[in-house]
Amino acid sequence: MIQLINIEKIYRTKTIETIALNKVNLQINKGEFVAIMGPSGCGKSTLLNIIGLLDSPTAGSISIDGQEVSSFSNRKLAAFRNFKLGFIFQSFHLINDLSVLDNVELPLLYRSGVSGAERKKKALEALEKVGLSTRTKHYPSQLSGGQRQRVAIARAIVGSPEVILADEPTGNLDSVMGEEVMNIMLELNKTDGTTIIMVTHDDNMANKTERIIRFFDGQQVN
Amino acid sequence: MLKNYIKLALKVMLRKKYYTILSLAGIGFTIMIITVFATFIDQVIGENSAEPERNRTLILDKVSVYNQGKKEDGFPSIHFLKKYVSDLESTEVISFITNKSYISFSKGKPTGHYLVYTDEHFWEITDFEFLEGRSFNRKEVENGDRVLIINKRTREHFFGDQAATGKELRVYGEKFKVIGVVTSGAAFSRVNADMILPYSMDKNLQGLEGPIQGSYSAMLLARSDNPKQVRSELRAKMRLLTNKISGADSLKAYAFTPLEQFAKSSSFTDQEPEYGKTAISFFIILLLFMLIPAISLINLNLSRIGERAEEIGVRKSFGATSATLVGQLVVENVILTLVGGIIGLALAAYATGLLVHIINTFDPLFKMPADSFIINWRVLALSIFSCLVFGLLSGVYPAWKMSKLNPVYALKGGQNHD
Repeated sequence: MIQLINIEKIYRTKTIETIALNKVNLQINKGEFVAIMGPSGCGKSTLLNIIGLLDSPTAGSISIDGQEVSSFSNRKLAAFRNFKLGFIFQSFHLINDLSVLDNVELPLLYRSGVSGAERKKKALEALEKVGLSTRTKHYPSQLSGGQRQRVAIARAIVGSPEVILADEPTGNLDSVMGEEVMNIMLELNKTDGTTIIMVTHDDNMANKTERIIRFFDGQQVN
Repeated sequence: MLKNYIKLALKVMLRKKYYTILSLAGIGFTIMIITVFATFIDQVIGENSAEPERNRTLILDKVSVYNQGKKEDGFPSIHFLKKYVSDLESTEVISFITNKSYISFSKGKPTGHYLVYTDEHFWEITDFEFLEGRSFNRKEVENGDRVLIINKRTREHFFGDQAATGKELRVYGEKFKVIGVVTSGAAFSRVNADMILPYSMDKNLQGLEGPIQGSYSAMLLARSDNPKQVRSELRAKMRLLTNKISGADSLKAYAFTPLEQFAKSSSFTDQEPEYGKTAISFFIILLLFMLIPAISLINLNLSRIGERAEEIGVRKSFGATSATLVGQLVVENVILTLVGGIIGLALAAYATGLLVHIINTFDPLFKMPADSFIINWRVLALSIFSCLVFGLLSGVYPAWKMSKLNPVYALKGGQNHD
């Protein structure tokens, strides 16, 4: 379970103070598939970054699985991200110099005690799940947008995380590809019980999830 | 993980060819100069096949005579060495040696030759490989037999492909019989010579030799690996001579191994060499020399932070710690410097040949052999060590800076730090 209490995020420059998130209280249960919606600049991605422990809130507390993570050291946060969280980004963020297999293996590189053979086995399994097991030696530049996003999903699930954070995962894809990616995520949620938090602008995609959380000007509106 | 890093490092190198060429050129040039310098130092102080005991061979090549408040430095004489030095208990064997040069004319063309005048013990301290013939013995030295040993280069010069043993050569107008041919010694070494002759045939011996000072040196082969013992005994012996020799209130004799001589802060004292100080000075010089190219590489690496920002963001998102990222980026940089180092070594192999060619152009009489600078395992080890230092020096700061990127901004390709 993910619990956010009075989360605030304020960006300050010398002259301007921008409130990105204003006292957000949110609870996401284990196994839920949640969509976060709202206009651009309303704080959706900021919220996702805070839940993903990539950014820290200005105030408030966040706990995942009963653990208050706000006070974690950088090292502990990194380990927590590695074991518990998986990320899917709108622009895929694959490493172009690495093959599909190497990209998918990446999270396991930072896990001690995982051998090269085990890494490869798990990466192949993840690629199998997203239907890309025949493209292991390809490079991201040789794949279509939909295929790249499927590689990104394989990378997100290879370490069997409890939570997947997807920031507009279908935003850069056409409707057919978007549908494909959405189906994979629905399947993951259904069969593996993975909690998925997805930021999206697409009502069709959001409607397929269990719950839609709407944001406006840094505040939850439903 | 290392395999992954190496793979990525090579990919990054190939991706940005201009940057890679620029970096490799800087690293290669730096390593080339270090390697050439190291080959020179190695020739001066390192052990080699002709001098396997160089680390326990002390060269006594200076005697200071203190008389009525005045000090006079000079080479020792054979008389002095025989009388006061040859019976040191801490030495196994002692050999007298002096270096001279001689110019021969063949078909009107002059050629310079380096000569060594020495005794039969020279062959006990050195280990020259005999390509033909033999060394001279005590009897031949005492009798003043006109015999000499030449090196391979000299054989080629005078006799071409033919054997030289038994043939005659003129040195300073006198005929000598070649009794052996050896391989060449290390360039810049005292024992390296084109012709090796008995010291009894040294024409200048009578004129230059005094009771204490003269024109010779002694090679002292220490019994143990601790040359200090020899010096200690030598000092004690010199103290005993205080006010015992006419014209000398007191004496000081200086005997050091080539490495010790290099490690000494000054050649004007007989104090013990300070290896620690020399090693630190040497390391500082090495660092300073690498600093400018390293700073250039640091700047190049820093300018590329933006280029790698997205990758850093992704890696951080999936659990890479700053320390892991520093490790990865430093390994990448070390791989770059090692590739640069290989280029540097190849350049050094060419540059040493070029250096010999340039030296020979300026000094056509005494031509150095083409293989005067040798890149052996010691030089290779120093070059590899330099590459690693260079890699760390130029890699750690940019890597640390990159690892500190805030993942959110990094994913956007930005550069805000944590």
